[in-house]
Amino acid sequence: MFVMSFFSFVGHAAAQDSITILSPGKTIELKDAFAGWQIIANAGQADVTRVANYKSTNPKVARVDEKGFVEPVGDGQATIHVTHHGKILDVPVEVSGVSNGRPIDFRTEIVPLLSKLGCNAGGCHGKASGQNGFKLSLFGFDADFDFESIVNEGRGRRVFPANPEMSLFIQKASGQMPHGGGKRLVPNSNDYQIVKRWIAAGTPPVAKNVPIVKRIQMIPNDRIYKHGDTQQVAVVAEYTDGSFRDVTRQSEFASNLDVIAVADATGFIKAGKLSGEAAVMGRHMGHVAVTRVLVPHGEALKEIPGFKPTSQIDLLAIAKWKKLGLQPTPVCDDATFIRRLSVDLCGRLPTLEEITAFAKDTDTNKRAKLVDTLLDSSDYPAYFAMKWGSILRNSSHAGSDRASYAFHNWIRDMIARNRPYDEFVRGVVAASGEWQDAPAINWYWQSRDDQLHQVSADTSQVFLGVRLQCARCHHHPYERWGQGDYYGLTGFFTRLGKKSFGEPPPYFSSASVTSSEKNPLTGKSPEPKFLDGPEMKFSAEEDPRHALVDWMAKPDNPFFSKALVNRMWGHFLGRGLFQEVDDQRETNPPSNPELLDYLAKEFVSHKFDVKHIIRLITTSSVYQLGSEPTAYNKNDHQNFARYYARRMPAEVFLDAVNQVTGNKSGFSGISANGRAIDLPHENFGSYFLDTFDRPKRVTGCECERSTGATLAQVLLLANSDEMEGKINATQGRLAKLIKQNLPAPEVIDNLYQVSFSRLPTAKEKARSLDHVNKSDNKQQALEDLLWVILNSKEFMFNH
Amino acid sequence: MLEFVGKGSATCDGVNRRSFLKVGSLALGGLTLPQLLKAQAASKPAKKRSVILIWQAGGPSHIDMYDLKPNAPSEIRGEFKPIATNVPGIQIGEHLPLQSKIMDKLSILRSACHTNAGHGMGAQWMLTGYQPTIEVNDNIFPSLGSVVAKMKGANDPSMPPYVNLPKLLNLGKAAYLGASYNPFAPDNDPNMEGFKVRNLSLPAKINVDRLSRRRDLLNDLDNIRRDIDTKGDLVGLDSFYKDAMEMVTNTKAQDAFDMQRESVVLRDTYGRNDLGQSCLLARRLVEAGVTFITIQAGGGWDTHGDNFKGLKNNLLPKYDRALTALVEDLHDRGMSDDVLVMAMGEFGRTPKINPGAGRDHWPGAMSVVYAGGGLKMGQVVGSTNANAEYPTTKPATPGCVLSTMYHCLGIDHHFAFHDQAQRPMPILSEGEPIQELIG
Repeated sequence: MFVMSFFSFVGHAAAQDSITILSPGKTIELKDAFAGWQIIANAGQADVTRVANYKSTNPKVARVDEKGFVEPVGDGQATIHVTHHGKILDVPVEVSGVSNGRPIDFRTEIVPLLSKLGCNAGGCHGKASGQNGFKLSLFGFDADFDFESIVNEGRGRRVFPANPEMSLFIQKASGQMPHGGGKRLVPNSNDYQIVKRWIAAGTPPVAKNVPIVKRIQMIPNDRIYKHGDTQQVAVVAEYTDGSFRDVTRQSEFASNLDVIAVADATGFIKAGKLSGEAAVMGRHMGHVAVTRVLVPHGEALKEIPGFKPTSQIDLLAIAKWKKLGLQPTPVCDDATFIRRLSVDLCGRLPTLEEITAFAKDTDTNKRAKLVDTLLDSSDYPAYFAMKWGSILRNSSHAGSDRASYAFHNWIRDMIARNRPYDEFVRGVVAASGEWQDAPAINWYWQSRDDQLHQVSADTSQVFLGVRLQCARCHHHPYERWGQGDYYGLTGFFTRLGKKSFGEPPPYFSSASVTSSEKNPLTGKSPEPKFLDGPEMKFSAEEDPRHALVDWMAKPDNPFFSKALVNRMWGHFLGRGLFQEVDDQRETNPPSNPELLDYLAKEFVSHKFDVKHIIRLITTSSVYQLGSEPTAYNKNDHQNFARYYARRMPAEVFLDAVNQVTGNKSGFSGISANGRAIDLPHENFGSYFLDTFDRPKRVTGCECERSTGATLAQVLLLANSDEMEGKINATQGRLAKLIKQNLPAPEVIDNLYQVSFSRLPTAKEKARSLDHVNKSDNKQQALEDLLWVILNSKEFMFNH
Repeated sequence: MLEFVGKGSATCDGVNRRSFLKVGSLALGGLTLPQLLKAQAASKPAKKRSVILIWQAGGPSHIDMYDLKPNAPSEIRGEFKPIATNVPGIQIGEHLPLQSKIMDKLSILRSACHTNAGHGMGAQWMLTGYQPTIEVNDNIFPSLGSVVAKMKGANDPSMPPYVNLPKLLNLGKAAYLGASYNPFAPDNDPNMEGFKVRNLSLPAKINVDRLSRRRDLLNDLDNIRRDIDTKGDLVGLDSFYKDAMEMVTNTKAQDAFDMQRESVVLRDTYGRNDLGQSCLLARRLVEAGVTFITIQAGGGWDTHGDNFKGLKNNLLPKYDRALTALVEDLHDRGMSDDVLVMAMGEFGRTPKINPGAGRDHWPGAMSVVYAGGGLKMGQVVGSTNANAEYPTTKPATPGCVLSTMYHCLGIDHHFAFHDQAQRPMPILSEGEPIQELIG
């Protein structure tokens, strides 16, 4: 984050009526003919920029429009009278450099226009192939390229300095000649005048000494809105020479959630009818900044009734709920908790014994105790090995069954021993040797067809939570990343060597470059450079990949720990603090940044102890909230005011069905007791698993696993020989209970407990018993009940 | 309001970008159920129409099938010759002899085009109308069939609205429309002996009465609230349970999938292979009330190597026979106006033949076949340049190709859904129906 100090003009003492105006200095300084300044007028909490009146005392020096935008006219001094409800605030303006200032500059004045007017967007001239022969750099990241394209390509027919308005460039853009993109440039508007002026000046190229934008900021950067509230924002750019400039009118705006808030081309935001949060992005010259729009669900709260915080996580969540006027659903009961935790942490339902013991335990600390017990069990590493196996694409696609078993076991073992996460990552990213000793080379082997790129993209997305792939070909449209950043990361992998024998073959760090890929910016082999960090040189003996992991594991690395804690948060809470869990960027801000920071700090200070993070999350009251929406949180989808229920993952669901019906999966090639979550790779045939969308392990993105329902799932559950066979299996649970001559009421209790971790309610029991009693065939009637349980949503979902 | 550029517009895309913005903002907040119902009700014509899309995954070679260039240099025109059809003046490739005899029942769009030469991205574009910005093998945008399922539902309540044959298509899913609009697939090859749809008939020990008692018990006991998840899966599941029970207990669906009910002669006419029998099954299904069917026309269309052998020995004979049989069968049954048959892939293929006698990916020009559906038949729309590289007349974007299909079904392609981020997403973001086809 960067901080610019802004001076705040405050008129009149009475807070409600005061007008506040932000400016970097006591005076608005406009230092050249192309400058401008957006005044933002606040009265109390409300933005009154569009309703205040503006008057310049000296229109020959500065003019101001009804939107509060100040522009230079001539050198000198003026004052802008801002009037609102009879209150007046005077803002001094100083204009210089108009009569004798710098000439128009292609990069500073023209390129932003190409973005603002949409010329260089991905759907138009900005796409890789251009549009009808005219090509611009995407979003204006390459001013020199754009200059060539406009001035010199097409045999120079696009601009005509002798008669600027006859230039094809102006004629097309202003719709005076047929233009597929329609009319973009309004004749005689300011923008039109600037383009005309630049052409008339002989289309000068980018001046050498003109400062470059270093970063931009939006003012204000967050605010709480009521439905329908509006806010004018300003975009201020800081330049390499330390100067500032208002670029509001040269920026584009986009909201990530249009129904919460929209922004127009002048940076005017309007909150919509729905509650929640949106991020409005401003983009100028490849730089992005956001302003956060918070539309509370209700009145801001002083306290959260009925919720007792038990952890730092709870306190940080409360702070957010108060702001948003959200009230959480009360904490869930013990039965719900043990089922939820067992599914989330161990990928299985709790056993009857566990349920009974937990219900009996009177220790007030028993939930935390259960977390510890399950974390130390062998099911936690088994389940998380499945999760990581999928993220790390441990598959048999590359043909090596044995290596994928070994990699799976390695992952499970690292998790079981709770080895620090950086050690785990090092084991993958810097894997070297034969697969028997370093099974993680299977990660490289899976990507061998496009190794450099797959591995770079996965490293960034999986371990840093940064989706850098876009920047392989062009500047990231919603981030500051460019090709230089992308190829900097690939630079750590260019010396990766592999032998010519074995499947997978041994991998090693070579003394010289082994990849023939070139950085398109330099035409040379990519040089290692840390993301947002320095370029590196390594000796032939050093393995650059170790330096990469060293850098990741530095306490102040801005990506690494956040990526992991957010992944864990997303796993347990059903949604990341930023979502998707591996897409952190300024334009996709976390719903609770303080909470993200807290968890990341804990992760670093506890030496990358993953169990510690899981413990913090699962022992918090936020994790333990009920899943039923209340009137006070029914529209909450981002702030965890209730537990967001979700279908069990395919493997967990199959295991749960087997657990309840008393069956084994019988996968060949693993032990007879092997469950679906124990499968080392994706290539174990199962119609059930495929129907419920087991990931094929072809991407590192957790989004590969979808929970979407299909008709085939329902037919399988409700009408298949496969399920029927499980329900009435002769060695199955029901058959055994019946063989024991257990009375029907007890069988019903047993089925409810193993399936839902609770006893049936009186009504459920009565209805079930009635069904059994009315039937001539008790066994069939109980089979029916088991069918009902397996087909009920309460069973299918973790809630 | 919608603003149309005059009819002389160079592309079929009659709406300029600014108008799109207006359409988009009008559609803002347009996702309420009443509005959807209104849009469904406004769907015209009242006739129950359906669509069978034959999807040639990999990219069929336009220059060897429907857009031959006999005067181009040999490294471009290749070894296939054009032949005359039963419509004077229209020629197609010599390895589509059956189609040449029913050209009056087909129309060929030669000027379809887009700009993405990746399989995943090109396919998503052609199958959804939206070009994704990342290469994924899953729907970011809803597939055509999912949109149709949402807007129209099934033509008969005992049938699913949207079916993939013979298997689920990777890019055939519903994305932000919600799980209820995912396709149904038999997941078996209808050409196989004893073809059966998995789990469609009752399990051995279950009869209709018992299933209905189970269903009653489920209704009474399965009471967990349906609003506890954030993705609408619970609601989607409920609607699938309704569909599933209908399909299982009503013999109509099972009968429709029962290939044994077709005569041996007709089965042979369609061709005894997965594509032929899928086309025949598709006809049975639209008869029974399925609204949208996507048939996967097998693999092999990605002819990077040995393009000509692959086409003439394997791909084209099967395809020619299946499509012709389907179109004729629909005509014989008087269904041709109610069923639109389309055939296309994600792009065309490079006019220039590569050193391996193959052709590579080419989105610059491609041919799309339309048959029936109330469209004007027996014509060729659009043309490409001398080398079949780019359209020279009537360039048609994916939005044009697809809006023509939506038009047949009476679906307003400007109608907007909301994606996961609550962004209004019109069914198509560009393109208008092709005038020559809709007449």
